[in-house]
Amino acid sequence: MTCQRCSDEASVHLTETVDGRPTELHLCVPCARKAGIVLPEKPPALGLDAVVQGLIVAHVGELVGDLAELACPDCGIKFMEFRAQGRLGCPADYDVFRRGLIPLIFRHHGATRHVGKIPRRSRAGTDRARLRLRAVLRDTIALEDYENAARIRDQLRHKDADR
Amino acid sequence: MNLDELTQTSGEWLRGTGPESDIVMCSRIRLARNLNDFPFINRASRSEKGEIETHIRTAIAAVSDNLAYLELNQRSKLDLQFLVERQLISREHASADYPRGVAIGPHENVSIMVNEEDHVRIQAMHSGLSLHDVWEQINALDDQLEERLSYAFSSQLGYLTACPTNVGTGIRVGVMLHLPALVQTKQIDKVFRALQKINLAVRGLYGEGTQAFGDFYQISNQQTLGNSELELIRNLTEVVPQIIEYERTARQKLVSERRQHLHDQVSRAYGVLKTAHTISSEETMHLLSSVRMGINLGLIDDLEIPTVNELFIHTQPAHLQKIQGTPLEVDERNVARASYLRSRLSNGRHTEAN
Repeated sequence: MTCQRCSDEASVHLTETVDGRPTELHLCVPCARKAGIVLPEKPPALGLDAVVQGLIVAHVGELVGDLAELACPDCGIKFMEFRAQGRLGCPADYDVFRRGLIPLIFRHHGATRHVGKIPRRSRAGTDRARLRLRAVLRDTIALEDYENAARIRDQLRHKDADR
Repeated sequence: MNLDELTQTSGEWLRGTGPESDIVMCSRIRLARNLNDFPFINRASRSEKGEIETHIRTAIAAVSDNLAYLELNQRSKLDLQFLVERQLISREHASADYPRGVAIGPHENVSIMVNEEDHVRIQAMHSGLSLHDVWEQINALDDQLEERLSYAFSSQLGYLTACPTNVGTGIRVGVMLHLPALVQTKQIDKVFRALQKINLAVRGLYGEGTQAFGDFYQISNQQTLGNSELELIRNLTEVVPQIIEYERTARQKLVSERRQHLHDQVSRAYGVLKTAHTISSEETMHLLSSVRMGINLGLIDDLEIPTVNELFIHTQPAHLQKIQGTPLEVDERNVARASYLRSRLSNGRHTEAN
């Protein structure tokens, strides 16, 4: 189809309603611009790449960006590592990765709130102070800093005695 | 506990007693628990795993004199496989190589795996459809352990587990069903699809990813959060009788429409098991399944269900080697298995070994 203003091939096809009647307009790109019609910079991407990209963002969106790199200060595991292995590193991860975990938990369980048994002891919970001390202990042992490791062990033992 | 002595007995869950025990081999519940001040197993150092084991082992010892504790780290592969075959530990627990153990209760009704995927995995099993009894037992044991251990728990998410698919109650409520007629009449897939739609999982005799040996299937909940333990038990208690009914209907259909064929199949299966001189584990399971159904339908009258239940377990590779007292290659095992079956099935009316 040729442009209604010049004889070039028309690539812009519009249907306008003028006085209640549909009016067709066929123009080439330069004539369309001259007529003040705003054209997209690039045709919209509808190729396979775009579809795949869309799927990746929809399904593993959490694996790109800051959540993926988020690491638990108590056990060191990154959210990305959890997603690869399927196992968390310590009880504190449920707090640290809350944003990423709650949608996963909802998808599996269809719920995000516990309604079952509750431990009778008030001590149950997550002991992040001790988890943190253990993390420091693992690091000092890895660095062969046995003097500090012994000191941290003592601290853990004292906390044991307090319990 | 001497493992070799266990070859002379079998777990209570194989006794073939309890409600619906012609179809429901056993009811089982497990609870996943973790200490609140240690990393989960995949992040714990070896020495931390050792400490975890010590803590939990001490608590177990304080709870009951009746729980025999086995350290697993120094055990032979054969011993570990033997415990897997008896359903006392999982395959994953057997194949790990760090400090870990299992506590086993009287009659093998209870086992507590230490340092499996979670720090504590308590399991209780009873024969027949008896989930409420199992829950009472395991809940009491969990309470006793909890008095001595600080579990990881959050008021919103419940018991915190290494895998978020177990978070909340940490419970898996399961029944092991023998469904040969549904398999033979090719209706089993339909049943599975219906179960999956209501979020129940179907597994084989030895858990996740295992084939359905001998037409045994474990049906269990997949979701652990958002319903209480008793609600999850009720779900299963309501669904299982329907499956039992389907299986009974399918059996009656086989009896009424293909009686000769069925009788022939059962008799041949029994005949092969009584006379073979070499037989694989797979064929044994397959034939025992026919014999088990045959007894329940009154087609065999000189053999009892507990014996057949026990043979499913005692003809497994590690059991055979324990019974023989020597390591055996596959071919040797097939010969030993046939010989064991002949001796257990040859003398008229049979009873349990113990």
